[in-house]
Amino acid sequence: MAQKGFPMPLEVQYPKELEGWEEMYPPYYIFSEERRDWEEKHFWYHDKIHAPEPMYPLDLIFHEAWQISLSQYTTRVFCIPPAQGVAQRMVGCYMYITPVAPPPQELIGEKAALFQKRVFYVFDHYDALWGLWLKKFRALGEEMANIKVPSEFPKFEPDETVFPEPRGYYTSYELIDAWDRLVNAMIKGWQYHFQYLNLAYLAYLLFADTCRKLFPGLSESTIGKLVAGAYVQMFKPEEELCRLARLASAVPEVAKVLKSDLPAEKKIEALKKTAEGNDWLVEYEKSKDPWFYVSCGSGWFHYEGSWTTKLEIPFGYLKSYVERIERGEKIERDLPAIDKARAELAEEYRKLIKTDEDRKSFDDTYKAVRTIYKYAEDHLFWVEHWFHTIWFEKVREFGTLLVKNGMLKETDDIFLFNRFEVPYLLEDLATTWALGVGVPSRAPYWQAKAEKRKKILEAAKKWTPIPALGTPPEEVAEPFTVMLWGITTEKVQEWLKGVAVVPTEVTELKGFASSAGVVEGKVRVVKLLEEITQIEQGEILVCPTTNPAWAPVFTKIKASITDIGGLTSHAAIVCREYGIPSVTGTGIATSVLKTGDTVRVDGNTGIVKILKRA
Amino acid sequence: MPYVLWFDKAGKEATSLVGGKNASLGELMRADIPVPPGFSVTTEAYLAFVSGELKEKIEKILSQIDPTDMASLEEKSQNIRQLIIDIPFPKKIQEEIASNYQALCQVFDTPEMPVAVRSSATAEDLPGASFAGQQDTFLWVQGVEEVIEKIKLCMASLFTPRAIAYRVKMGFSHEKVLISVGVQKMVNARAAGVMFTLNPINGDPSKVVIEGNWGLGETVVGGFCNPDKFVVDKVTLEIQREISLKTTECVFDPLRKEVVHKDIPPERREIQCIEDQEALELARFAKKVEAYYGCAQDIEWAIDREKPFPFNIFMVQSRPETVWSQKKREPLLGKKSAYELLLEKALKPIKIGV
Repeated sequence: MAQKGFPMPLEVQYPKELEGWEEMYPPYYIFSEERRDWEEKHFWYHDKIHAPEPMYPLDLIFHEAWQISLSQYTTRVFCIPPAQGVAQRMVGCYMYITPVAPPPQELIGEKAALFQKRVFYVFDHYDALWGLWLKKFRALGEEMANIKVPSEFPKFEPDETVFPEPRGYYTSYELIDAWDRLVNAMIKGWQYHFQYLNLAYLAYLLFADTCRKLFPGLSESTIGKLVAGAYVQMFKPEEELCRLARLASAVPEVAKVLKSDLPAEKKIEALKKTAEGNDWLVEYEKSKDPWFYVSCGSGWFHYEGSWTTKLEIPFGYLKSYVERIERGEKIERDLPAIDKARAELAEEYRKLIKTDEDRKSFDDTYKAVRTIYKYAEDHLFWVEHWFHTIWFEKVREFGTLLVKNGMLKETDDIFLFNRFEVPYLLEDLATTWALGVGVPSRAPYWQAKAEKRKKILEAAKKWTPIPALGTPPEEVAEPFTVMLWGITTEKVQEWLKGVAVVPTEVTELKGFASSAGVVEGKVRVVKLLEEITQIEQGEILVCPTTNPAWAPVFTKIKASITDIGGLTSHAAIVCREYGIPSVTGTGIATSVLKTGDTVRVDGNTGIVKILKRA
Repeated sequence: MPYVLWFDKAGKEATSLVGGKNASLGELMRADIPVPPGFSVTTEAYLAFVSGELKEKIEKILSQIDPTDMASLEEKSQNIRQLIIDIPFPKKIQEEIASNYQALCQVFDTPEMPVAVRSSATAEDLPGASFAGQQDTFLWVQGVEEVIEKIKLCMASLFTPRAIAYRVKMGFSHEKVLISVGVQKMVNARAAGVMFTLNPINGDPSKVVIEGNWGLGETVVGGFCNPDKFVVDKVTLEIQREISLKTTECVFDPLRKEVVHKDIPPERREIQCIEDQEALELARFAKKVEAYYGCAQDIEWAIDREKPFPFNIFMVQSRPETVWSQKKREPLLGKKSAYELLLEKALKPIKIGV
């Protein structure tokens, strides 16, 4: 056993039902005897932010991509001196990560020189660089969207592929090539993802440090408020819904359809029947690309769906918005007012600074963080939402083809195979087609594998992985570890305590005081976006983590509690904007609380007290 | 020159007449801060009283003092103070005090209204408020006679052994040291305490730190209790609370007709002695006082037992904060630019040891 109470990676005991889980993931994702020394020296914790659920093999691609990308920017590109990358491992279908121990001292000096030269350049040119980034990224997304996946294997290749010059490559190659291009685009997109993110987080940490030197007691939530931008691209989907709801409420025929209880598909049909309805649909289409390419969840899981595939979500919001407009309520967030409030807040603190020199340093760091932190807020929509939504659409085209040809039973079964395995299935299919007629594939083998993996993932869901493994570190220099996962001394100790938590015996939860205020009320535990329709006015939302697709629900609830997420998490930002209390990063809220429990949420202290069990 | 001046008529320009403490009450009133009303018995009254025969007697005793002989110092000090107590005020002063006290009673329609009587030293007096003496605040004083008696006790406090010895040591003339006395409506405090317009622990200028206990503020001022502590952010008004176990409070005992220390009943020991909204209101006043004076303040406050919020909140004293304000104002960030700070940050790992 580890001295401090966390087991060593190779000591983990897995339930029998999980047998065979290792083969779902690339071999270097598994803890191994030959790397044991290095692995045991590190501190591995379950990445509840990005992988709270058991990992489908194909969804691992995002993580594979970020492990490389995040790390290389720190170690090889922008060279954050004492920091190294973040390594990943799979533990019984759950993903664990660790900040890699610092490099030797001589390398730190070498890196510092490059850091200064490169990072300061980015800070100085950020606004222009962001424009270039967005152009490049959107082009990559378009490229991915335009990848042509063969919809079927033709009985015979058509004439156009033979005359006037035989093309020389055919469906078998097109299929494999399309997959390779799709995968490469995704990997490249994630290389872009971290282009400025490490620096954005570093700037945030720098500003937080500066603030604490001037105002030692300044709360995390206030620092978050000072930095948070009002004009964030991630809020655009919601703004577009507001715009469409306004348009609809001005045209009674359209409003009537949107307010009806028809399924979304039927609403669209009904709208197509009138000129006004068609006009509105034109506007809807304008908003849809790109703004409704937004995941119903975090964007990390294929099963979350998006506003383009789960039409009930945007149409459900539209219904409630139109109704609220009719009741005379304001549905839009007042962005200029939010921005003004932030500027005033900063000015108030600025006035409290005692010397001109400090005021200058404060202004300087504030300007730096306000410039580059936008990246942390803006990239999210484009990568995790827009880009991933395109990816999932494309992957499903492959899934559909595999089902059509009897290789798999269901389209989404393709997600049960990792990105290196999918080519096996495609190649098997292409081979049998090329060989002629009456040639068997190994379809039953792939289908059996899919079935087995479904069962393993089900079993993994019921298994509760321990929060951490290995040796807790003495210090961390990796900005994401601190910023995003909120790994602090307190957190590690909390986990140590939490190793043996019995949910029914918990009377109090502790998290980040993310948005001020105190309320009491009944909780509604929501694990998936579909369940948010059950939320009633005035309930307290309890969820693993929220993301922008949930935004419209915040007008209904009176507080929120999440398992994961720090002070700049989505729930925290939105709650502050709506002025409702929020406690984020409790670790265990969704497992400890049950719908109907009465709690007191104290957004000032970060404490949730359980007053009465349902 | 007046023998009596109401607080609202005498601000810092009148310090030589009413002393620092009373002048600060006048200033607070000018800043629209709720301060219980009252008046100062001026240094002019003191001069008029300590004159002629009384003055000669005091000077004679003072001239016999050997400051190195503790026993003699003690004895002479006692003699002087007894003289001040025994010799009645001149009629004019007596009448002025009586009529103004009665006017105060009339404002509140309360005969024999309880007041606090405190000495208020002038600028020439001993530096460091600590020296003005601890015996010169009298709470819950009622009726003209008692008011006059306590005023005299305050005046007599100029001649405590410590005060005399200090002046001798510093070479100050006894004659030039004057005293004024404040007579202020007593707040029947449900809770009271002190607050600072910065965090006295770390100097954080963005915080108001409030300490309070049940009853009168003396338990907090005198350090006789573990007070509740509220740290309020001046900008966001977020409150952090540390609620203490409070066992003793200072209250007026109507039977014994005096202020007594009493055990706090168990049901009140662990609950916060002021509501959040009261803490916020106090913080707002603290900010206002600080802005008015243009420097950090150390403020005594009280919350009235009967009046409804927000009319129950009073400031009874304000003085400049001394510890952090006297520190030299070095830039905390070492005159560094964002890039210099960034490099510093990027080079430094974060300790998270378990």
